[in-house]
Amino acid sequence: MDLPFIKVENISYSYRDEDGAAIPVIRDLSLEIEKGEFVAVLGHNGSGKSTFAKLLNMILTPKSGKIYIDGKDITDENMSEEEVFSLRRRVGMVFQNPDNQLVATVVEDDVAFGPENLGVPSAEIRKRVDDALATVGMSKYAKHEPHRLSGGQKQRVAIAGIIAMLPECIIFDESTAMLDPIGRKEVLATVKKLNSEMGITVIMITHYMDEAAMAKRVIVLNDGRIALDGAPAEVFEREEELRSYGLDVPQCTSLIHELRRCGVRLDGSCSTPEECASLIARALGKE
Amino acid sequence: MSEITIEKVSFYHGKGTPYELKALDDVSLRIHSGIITGIIGHTGSGKSTLVELFNGILKPEEGRVILDGEDIWAKPKEIRKVRFKVGLVMQYPESQLFEETIRQDISFGPKNMGLSQEEIEERVLEAASFVGLDEALLSKSPFDLSGGQKRRVAIAGVIAMRPDVLILDEPAAGLDPSGREAIFSNIVDYKNKTGSTVVIVSHSMEDMAKYCDRIVVMSGGRVFMDGSRDEVFEDTERLRSAGLDIPQITSLMLLLREKGIDVDGGIYTIEGAMSRLLPLLENRSKGDIQ
Repeated sequence: MDLPFIKVENISYSYRDEDGAAIPVIRDLSLEIEKGEFVAVLGHNGSGKSTFAKLLNMILTPKSGKIYIDGKDITDENMSEEEVFSLRRRVGMVFQNPDNQLVATVVEDDVAFGPENLGVPSAEIRKRVDDALATVGMSKYAKHEPHRLSGGQKQRVAIAGIIAMLPECIIFDESTAMLDPIGRKEVLATVKKLNSEMGITVIMITHYMDEAAMAKRVIVLNDGRIALDGAPAEVFEREEELRSYGLDVPQCTSLIHELRRCGVRLDGSCSTPEECASLIARALGKE
Repeated sequence: MSEITIEKVSFYHGKGTPYELKALDDVSLRIHSGIITGIIGHTGSGKSTLVELFNGILKPEEGRVILDGEDIWAKPKEIRKVRFKVGLVMQYPESQLFEETIRQDISFGPKNMGLSQEEIEERVLEAASFVGLDEALLSKSPFDLSGGQKRRVAIAGVIAMRPDVLILDEPAAGLDPSGREAIFSNIVDYKNKTGSTVVIVSHSMEDMAKYCDRIVVMSGGRVFMDGSRDEVFEDTERLRSAGLDIPQITSLMLLLREKGIDVDGGIYTIEGAMSRLLPLLENRSKGDIQ
């Protein structure tokens, strides 16, 4: 039987407060993610989303439970350093603050940083850097200084740095939170492309409901557990429940629910303006 | 109730250097008293420069900034008074917390104003309650708080100076939906209770449509639109021409219109959409029954 790409089995994690008492953040969580999936993870501040991401990327190790990446147990304490590095390379991570992730003074050096550390031969690095910059649409900035770029451009350079390591999965930990609308659009278009054209598995942690609506699957974390897991339209159907977790639904979904409460019959669910428009148009006999 | 007027203001970053950049170009604008004004615009449109001129962090090279009838730069040595009257909460203000306890952090502004200990304590309690911080937290370190709570401490620190004008640059950035809503309802509450003039800079069209009374759209260092919330959001074409996002409900209305449904593009809230769509949908279902 084929194993899923990521298999998480009953993991728990807790932090210690200043008195040494354990504060549980992830509680007995299990889930599977297949290769090539596009998953959004939602949850209020403190729900355990970022801890979950750090566990997948091996920045943290669970207190109990197992995580398998492509069948390999990444929680195994006896793993050699090489094995750890090779697993980290396969699951890359892009963080929130664009200013904290760039290390070099020239864009292309920054993108080369990862593969250089992996010991990739220099001709191969050249090719990977060029390809990665082309993928994120930043080729013409190759010789620029990163600190002069816009937030969205910086995040795309950070993504290129990850792509240059040829990962199979990328975790975005609120990577658009500090960007303006243009920057957000640039980054989201890049994320979509990585998933649909390159087949990279995407796990996107976000506070924006409209971003989650772009994914194929939405996982809602609450209090360290999975509260909901399904297609965006299915998850956003449960407006009341989401609100009780400190979350929201896209404005359009909320409108459909409001119309139903007023007795209008609207069949189907929706999470984007397009889906919502067809639902209403169908009800009015215009589609 | 305070009012800020800007008269023919131009501002350059790095004037006289090869990197000279005109951030504001002959801007005239009135910030009305006692209401919430939202400022929208792309990065680089001049909105942050604008709010930094409001409280005298920046000095205009041309033109005047007038607070309650007086040019704030008429007596440059007294500019500090302006900064007490016009409080600015910068982006990600929690990165500026530094004191040992939350109480000390919120006291920092009032202390600099030279107030008495009793007055400071009264203001700290008042500011904490405005932002919904429990009194029991005040003796804790600000660094033990969650991101959303830290943000509240930073906002309380500005409110504790009892500014007549409160300016907030992206007050909800990075917060989860319930955190966003809590911060915005605190701000609306604060305005209602104190009658202060409030200015909010934000990228979120949905939040702006929900909480602001007037909207100013900045583009290329100039005022691109300036009007009541309805006036600005009803002009979808103009918003789009500035390359700005439009609220999701407005996009939905435009999609419906493309499908031949009789709605206009100037609807931007769920309530607005309900009052337009409900009659249409109800008529239709009656038609089905007949």
